Amino acid sequence: MDIVITDLDPRFKHEVAKEEGGERVKYCFQCGTCTSGCPVSEIDSKYNPRCIIRMVILGMREQVLRSDFIWLCSTCYTCYERCPQDVRITEVMNALKNMAVREGYIHPAFRAQAELIGSHGRLYEIDEFTEEKREELGLARLSGDIAEVAEIFKITGLAELLSEASQEPVRTASA
Amino acid sequence: MGVAHGEVKAEAPHMGGINEAGCGRGPRIGVYVCHCGLNIAATVDVARVRDAVAGLPGVVVARDNKYTCSEVGQKTIADDIKNLNLDRVVIASCSPRLHERTFRELMARSGLNPFLLEMANIREQCSWVHGHDREAATRKAVALTRAAIARAALLEPLERNVGSVTKSAMVIGGGVAGISAALYLANMGVKTYLVEREPSIGGHMAMLDKTFPTLDCSLCILSPKMVEVRENSNIELLSYTEVRKVEGQVGSFKVELLRKPRYIDEAKCVACGLCAEKCPSKAPDEFNRGYSERKAIYIPFPQAIPASYVIDPNYCRYFTRGGKCRVCEKICERGAVDFSQREEIVTLDVGAIVIATGFEPYDASRKTQYGYGRFPNVITSLDFERIICADGPTHGKLKRPSDWEIPRRIAFIQCVGSRDEHETDGAGKYCSRVCCMITAKQAFMVKEKYPDAEVYVYHTDMRTAGKGFEEFYQRGRSEGIVFVRGKPGEIVENPEDHSLRVVAEDADSGCILDLTFDMVVLAIGLRPPGGLVELAQKLNVSRSADGFLLEGHPKLRPAETSIEGIYLAGCAQFPKDIPDSVAQAGCAAAAAAGVLASDRIEMDPLNPVVDEELCIGCRLCEKLCPYGGIKVEKTDKGFKARVIELACKGCGVCGAACSARAIKMRHYSDEQIYAQTAALLEVG
Ligand SMILES: Cc1cc2nc3c(=O)[nH]c(=O)nc-3n(C[C@H](O)[C@H](O)[C@H](O)COP(=O)(O)OP(=O)(O)OC[C@H]3O[C@@H](n4cnc5c(N)ncnc54)[C@H](O)[C@@H]3O)c2cc1C
Repeated sequence: MDIVITDLDPRFKHEVAKEEGGERVKYCFQCGTCTSGCPVSEIDSKYNPRCIIRMVILGMREQVLRSDFIWLCSTCYTCYERCPQDVRITEVMNALKNMAVREGYIHPAFRAQAELIGSHGRLYEIDEFTEEKREELGLARLSGDIAEVAEIFKITGLAELLSEASQEPVRTASA
Repeated sequence: MGVAHGEVKAEAPHMGGINEAGCGRGPRIGVYVCHCGLNIAATVDVARVRDAVAGLPGVVVARDNKYTCSEVGQKTIADDIKNLNLDRVVIASCSPRLHERTFRELMARSGLNPFLLEMANIREQCSWVHGHDREAATRKAVALTRAAIARAALLEPLERNVGSVTKSAMVIGGGVAGISAALYLANMGVKTYLVEREPSIGGHMAMLDKTFPTLDCSLCILSPKMVEVRENSNIELLSYTEVRKVEGQVGSFKVELLRKPRYIDEAKCVACGLCAEKCPSKAPDEFNRGYSERKAIYIPFPQAIPASYVIDPNYCRYFTRGGKCRVCEKICERGAVDFSQREEIVTLDVGAIVIATGFEPYDASRKTQYGYGRFPNVITSLDFERIICADGPTHGKLKRPSDWEIPRRIAFIQCVGSRDEHETDGAGKYCSRVCCMITAKQAFMVKEKYPDAEVYVYHTDMRTAGKGFEEFYQRGRSEGIVFVRGKPGEIVENPEDHSLRVVAEDADSGCILDLTFDMVVLAIGLRPPGGLVELAQKLNVSRSADGFLLEGHPKLRPAETSIEGIYLAGCAQFPKDIPDSVAQAGCAAAAAAGVLASDRIEMDPLNPVVDEELCIGCRLCEKLCPYGGIKVEKTDKGFKARVIELACKGCGVCGAACSARAIKMRHYSDEQIYAQTAALLEVG
């Protein structure tokens, strides 16, 4: 991929550094400790934390925020512990995800999860089998009342975000 | 940047007017506000500072100059002193550490007592730290300058203390830096005491096999210098000795040393080695980094100086089994073994001190992901030097510790404990400067011994700045060493054959390299040596954030410290290679010899004075003084505090604490400080 200077947004790295979690992104010196120990990279080379941070430093705003790879971090914190420059990479990924959402990009898997919580109050539906098991154990039935959850969605602004963020991240072959 | 240059004409100094009215019989103060080019003027409105202080009581003249320290700037002050009869000078400019001496000398030349100078630091304390807020920086500059004027009005003329000069020096630490400093001093005719805490001099260089970039044998070039130390009649070597206490100041330090017992009479021992042959107790050999054993009676290495054995009481049966054994004593024909030796205190008088205490290798076991200490075939760069050395545990064959077989695939990992934010206590963030070249050297040595070996170097950036260094790195590449830009996250050991799996991203190809090695060498960083904190406290010298000793000025006083008469050489100041250590040793020796060349030394009169009428002998000052510089003694008027000028460093703790107000700091009297504080608060 060729990049010309006008494609790059020199302010992007500063924006990320101002975002909670992104504070130390500019300290990265590209040693690759993160990628070499990353369990996600091992399975899917599309996710390469060193490379994502490089793209941030270069100012590849759109390519980063619209990508689907920023959503792949499993938050195991291995890189966070090992990074010699204490870039706190896991938190940087969170910062990038927050920025992406604000710009209207939500990964479909995350949208699906949020919607599940919205409709069931949890990530999965409670079926009759579970309720019977609970009863046997002397536990109360789980109420299907999700009014409270809907209220939380409203107060935290999640409901609005879900309706606004309409665009899906672009599938990338490789970072 | 909004620079006040429109208002200020470039050439001549500007003044806020001569103010004869306000100065009847009081002090006559001249105030000079410096632009320091744009260093101050870009942020502080210098003209406003000048005008704000021009009318203050006592101020006869207030000017601003582009560079107060320049010839022109100084001449303006000299002329004013003469023409306007000034008796005090206030300069608002940079830190007094830079130019206080310049301006004091100017005052002396102009017939004024140099202690009637006061400086306000409006650069380091204003423009440089408040660069984004011109208004606040300017207000602070006004406040500091007003405070300086208030203090200046109360300054009193003082005479400098004059001290004698003891024409000898002490060098602490006998690595290549300390050895070089001692030899330079001795060859300039200075009697020099070389104090080394280990049983032999030599330091880390004695442990190295070959040295970059020329690959000369380390001990072949070091050991002649060590012998020279022994032979030079101007050098007295005190090995196995530590510094206990240091008092006094430049020209007349009083040093107390603790000599540890060797249990061997150095003068009698000829290092024949019979004793060690017969000694029944074994101990890990530190010199070989624990990869071999030595006896409880031992000589650290064959070329050790002093060439004398030493008994390690932690392993010797005489000490561990209550007076039994004594085999060495019986076998030594010269009667050199002496179990009656005890710790001994030695005192020295020296005029100057060079600190050359070197470094300590980073403890690689702290990086648990690399398994040093758990995986036998993970070694450090210093271990490598011993393992490949002819005198080492494998007699020069490069072998891996798990089975002492020759490794075919070797990896080096850079920056272990360097450039690392996780190293707490501030140290470890820095680049240790020598490790890239150490690895380039060691990787090359592997190829030299075993051309078929596969050698990989995992690095973040290869830094090979130095004469002949880049060429050496190039040669390594041409030998087939693979340099990988990428740092492995961890090392995983196969417990069956102790091979080591290393996964790293090769940033240059974008590939993940998943390779298995027979041995991995960790390029460990250089850290401040153990005991440096305590030694720095004893000598009252400062350390920098990295934990090493702070030089007098980062560019212009690289071998000096903040204390006059105390100098730095080698890795004690910061990690460096052998040529740089030797160069700094020369610089330190020259600076020390310069001081020792004069017959008398003038010192600032910072000592407090005790008013015996007021002193109630409560001993508070004595208890608080960190330097033992004030003692309460019985006199015919009762118990009274007395200042011990040699020990006093002028810190002022006693003066601040004295409840009877009997202790007066001569250049920082209560009145002066109150006036200064009041002026600061007034401006707000
Ligand atoms: C693995 C490795 C390989 C290296 N290879 C090379 C190379 O090939 N070429 C090169 O130029 N450089 C090389 N270096 C760097 C070289 O070792 C240093 O430049 C050199 O040793 C610095 O000398 P020094 O005298 O300052 O410190 P040191 O060698 O550390 O000596 C300090 C001495 O002071 C003593 N001491 C410490 N504290 C006290 C105290 N409180 N009181 C009394 N004595 C004290 C110590 O016992 C020691 O003897 C290498 C370093 C390492 C770690």
